[in-house]
Amino acid sequence: MSSQKETGPSWGPRAAHTLLNKDVPRVDGPAKVSGRAVYAHDVRLPGMLFARVLCSPYPVATVEFDLEAAKKLPGVGAALDMGVKSVRWLGQPVAAVAADTPERADDALRALNAKWTPGKWVVTREQSLAEGAPAVGKNGNRGRENSQGDRAETEAAMQGAAGVVEAVYTVPVQHHACLETHGVTVDYRGGDEAKVYASTQSTFAIPEGAARALGLKAESVESIVEYMGGGFGSKFDLGFEGQLACQLSKQAGKPVHLLLTRAAEFTSAGNRAAAHFVMKGAIGADGKLLALLSDIEKGGGVGEGARMPQPYIYEVEKSWTKSVGVLTNTDSSRAMRAPGHPQSSFAMESIVDELAYKAGLDPLEVRKKNLKHEAYQRQLTRVAQEIGWPAHPNKTAPGKAEGRWCTGIGFGVSVWGAGGRAECQVDVRIGRDGSVSSAVGSQDLGTGVRTYVATIVAEELGLPVTAVTARIGSSRLGQANGSGGSTTTASLAPAVKSAAWNARTKFAEHLAQALGTEATNIHFAGGQVEDKKNGKKLAFAQACALLPQEGLSARGEWVKELAGNGIHGAQAAKVRVDPLTGQVEVLKMVCLQDSGLPLNRLTLRSQIAGGMVQALSYGLLEERVIDPDLGIALNANFEDYKIAGSMEIGEIVALIDDDDQREQAIGVAEATCIPGHSAIANAIFNACGARVRDLPLTPDKVLAALGRT
Amino acid sequence: MARIRRMSNTSDPEALSRRRFLRGAGGVAAGGVLVHGMLSAAEPAARAPGASSAGETLEGEIEIELSINGETRKLKCEPRTTLLSALRHRCDPALTGTKEVCDRGNCGACTVHVDGKPALACLLLAADMRGKKLRTIEGLGSPDKLNALQQSFWTHDGQMCGFCTPGFVMAIQACLDKKPKASLDEIKRSCAGNVCRCGTYPAVFEAALAVARGGK
Repeated sequence: MSSQKETGPSWGPRAAHTLLNKDVPRVDGPAKVSGRAVYAHDVRLPGMLFARVLCSPYPVATVEFDLEAAKKLPGVGAALDMGVKSVRWLGQPVAAVAADTPERADDALRALNAKWTPGKWVVTREQSLAEGAPAVGKNGNRGRENSQGDRAETEAAMQGAAGVVEAVYTVPVQHHACLETHGVTVDYRGGDEAKVYASTQSTFAIPEGAARALGLKAESVESIVEYMGGGFGSKFDLGFEGQLACQLSKQAGKPVHLLLTRAAEFTSAGNRAAAHFVMKGAIGADGKLLALLSDIEKGGGVGEGARMPQPYIYEVEKSWTKSVGVLTNTDSSRAMRAPGHPQSSFAMESIVDELAYKAGLDPLEVRKKNLKHEAYQRQLTRVAQEIGWPAHPNKTAPGKAEGRWCTGIGFGVSVWGAGGRAECQVDVRIGRDGSVSSAVGSQDLGTGVRTYVATIVAEELGLPVTAVTARIGSSRLGQANGSGGSTTTASLAPAVKSAAWNARTKFAEHLAQALGTEATNIHFAGGQVEDKKNGKKLAFAQACALLPQEGLSARGEWVKELAGNGIHGAQAAKVRVDPLTGQVEVLKMVCLQDSGLPLNRLTLRSQIAGGMVQALSYGLLEERVIDPDLGIALNANFEDYKIAGSMEIGEIVALIDDDDQREQAIGVAEATCIPGHSAIANAIFNACGARVRDLPLTPDKVLAALGRT
Repeated sequence: MARIRRMSNTSDPEALSRRRFLRGAGGVAAGGVLVHGMLSAAEPAARAPGASSAGETLEGEIEIELSINGETRKLKCEPRTTLLSALRHRCDPALTGTKEVCDRGNCGACTVHVDGKPALACLLLAADMRGKKLRTIEGLGSPDKLNALQQSFWTHDGQMCGFCTPGFVMAIQACLDKKPKASLDEIKRSCAGNVCRCGTYPAVFEAALAVARGGK
C-alpha cells in the first residue's frame, strides 16, 4: 500500500487487496483443530475447585436445603446459599457448591438434600392466559402492549382483495445450545487481584461485576477470553454463574471453575422466545400486498421477549400490529442471533406465500413485487436460479401429495442493521526485530475476529498474515464492544484499519527521515519496503531495524467512513417430502448475502452457512418441552432436544453478493439465520400442499396438514 | 459407535478385578440415592481411601496407569471417574482437547480412539481403560505439525468457535483410518453422533472429502 495522496484510511479499491476479500484460513485454526485452544472450560489452576449450581426443577416452589451437610463432605471448599427461598421460574438457581473434583461437587449438590415444595405455575401460553391463572409478574401475565397502525383502516383495505388469508403461526422456545456452557474460571487466591477466564461475548462486561463479587476494584480484575465456545446472544454479562463463581472463590480463597452442566444450560441460560402470531393478510390481483393484521403474543418466560416486527421486510400498504409478552414461570428469553426476527420471518414469509398461492400467483414474483430494496431483486433472481426454480413445475400451485417423494422449493429474505459504533481502540506495534502485533481486547466468537485483526494490519504493511501476531481477549488490551447485533465487525474492523494506517504512515515518516526521502515515496508490499523515487528496496525486517530501540506503536479508533450499515439476503430451500410418512429432507439451501466489503471470504461463507444450518435446525427439529402439569423440563439434554447433525445437512450453498460494492466493513451474523426455516416451510407446501404453520416442521404436522392424521 | 470390551483379566493381584470394580462403581448408585435424601447427607458417594474393608469393595481413590497417545500416564481417580473426567481433571498436565459438552453420550465432543476405534470418553470409566491404547486429539498432531485431516479442517474452515472441532476430527479420523477413501455418505455417518452449533458441517464434509480424495 502506498501513502500517496492519502488523507486517511480507506478500504478500496477492491482490486488492490492482497489479503482482504480473499480466502484466509483463520489464524487460530491450528490451535482449534489440534485441541490446544484453551477455553474457559479448559483452564486448570493450582488448587482449583469445581462448582455446581442447584437449580429449581420446578417452575414455582419453595425450597429448603442443608448447606452445612454439603460443606462437611471431603474435598468441598465452598458452599453458598443465594437466599432464595421461593423460586418463580424453572431452572432458577438457589445455591452453589465447589469441591476439588467435579464428581465431589456433584456429591455436595446431592448432599444439600434439597426439599422442594411445588407451588402453582404457568408454563404454557394457554395456562398463562387462562382465567384465574397464577400471576407470574406483579401486573399479571400480560406484559406491556405495543401497537401500531390503524386496525379499522387495515380491515377496510382488504375489501376487493384477490385473496385473503387468516392464519395462526406459532414457534416454540428455541435454545441457544452453545456447546461450551455458560460460565467462568476465576483465578483468585486471596490478595488484591484476580483473573476471570470467561466464556463471554463481551470481554469488558466481566471485570466490574466480578470485582464487586470478589470485593476488589474493577481495575484489579482482568477478564480473559482467548477462546469461547459459542454464545449466539446468550453470553453478554457475568450472569448468576459468574457471580457465584466469584463468591465461591472468595469464600474458599482458591480458584473456582464454574461452567454450567448441560441440564442447567438448557433450563437456566436463556433462550429464543416462543411466539403466537394471529395474522390476516390480503393480496391484490396484481400481487401487491394490500393489508396485514398481526396480533402477536411473545413467550419470553419471565421476560418480555424481543420485539418481533410486522409486517416483516415486505411492503404492505396498510397494516396494524399489536404485540404483547405473555409471561410464564420459565427462564427469561435472551437475545438470540437476530432477536425476534426468525419468529417474525416465519409468520410473514408463510402468509406472503399463502397469499401468493391463493391469488394463483408465483410466490417468487410476489416477493419481488413487494420488496423495495434493489438488493432483494437480484438476490431472489440468483437464488431462484441456483435452486432450480425456473425449471420447477409447481410455480403457482403446489404439487400433488402422491408417490414416495414430492419435491418443492421455497423462499425467504432477511435484513439486519449490523452497523458499528466508536467503541474500539486497537494498538499496532512494530518491533525493531521486524515483529508486528495488532492488539485489542475483543473476543472472537468463532466469526474470525482474531484473523482480521491480523489480516488488516498485514495487508496495510504489505506482509503475509503470518507476520502479524493478533492479540485479543483481554480487558488489559484496548477497549472493544460486546459482540451483539452483528456490530463487532463494523465497530472493530475500522479501528484496526485506522491503527494499521497510523502505524504505516508513522513508519513511512520515520523511514523517509532515515533514508533521506519523502514519506509519500515509501511503499509497503510483498514483505518489502520500497522507495518509489529511486526503486531501492529493503526487506521489511531491515526497514524495522532502522526504528528506534522502543520500536513503533500506533493506536487506531473508529472511522465512520470505513463502517457500513444495513445488509440483505435471500435464501431458497429445496426439500423432498414423503407424503406417506410426513418425512422432510432438505436437499439443498442457497443463500446470497451482502455485507459490504468481505474481510475474509472463507470465514464469511462459513458464517453464512452456519446461519443457514441454524435455521434448518430451528425449522425441522428444535422445541423446548415442559410438562404443563408436572412442570418438569422434558428435554433439557442433547438427546431429546435435537439440533441438526450431519445427517440433516444437504447441499448448503453460501454465496457472497459481490454486486454489493460498498467499501465498508459490516457484520453478517444475524441476517443469515433469519429466513431459512421459512423457506423450508414454504418448500414443503410447494412440494405437496402441506401448509405447516407451527415450528418445528415435524412429520406428524406434515401429515396433519395433508389431512392424514 | 464401537463397543468397548470390558477390562481384561490381569495377573496383578492388587489390580482391580471386574467384580471389585463393579462393586466400587456401586458408589455411583449410592450417590444417586442421595438425590432422594434417603442416605445421610454426610455419606459421600466415594469414601475416603482406606475406608474399605478387606478389599471387598473398591472405594475411594485408586491409582491407575493409562496408555494415552503412546505415553504411560499414572493417575489417581475414583472407580466412578469417567475417561473424560480423567483426561480433563486427573491427568497432569490436563488433556483438555477432549471436550465436555453433554457428559452423556449425545454430542460426540469427547470422541477419543480406544484401540483404534472411536468411543465417547464420557460413557467410559477410566479404570476400565487400563491396558488399552487410548488416543486423544492431542495425539493426532500439534499446531506446528497438524496431521492431514487437521490441516484440511483448517484450510477448509471446518471450525468456527472450535469447541466441537476436536470431536469431529477424532470421529472422522477413525473413519478415514478404517477407510481412507471414504465417501461423503460414510463421512457423514462417521460423525452423525457429533453436533456443531455454529453449523460448520458443510466445511467439515469438504475437509474430510479432500483428505479422502487424496487432495488437500
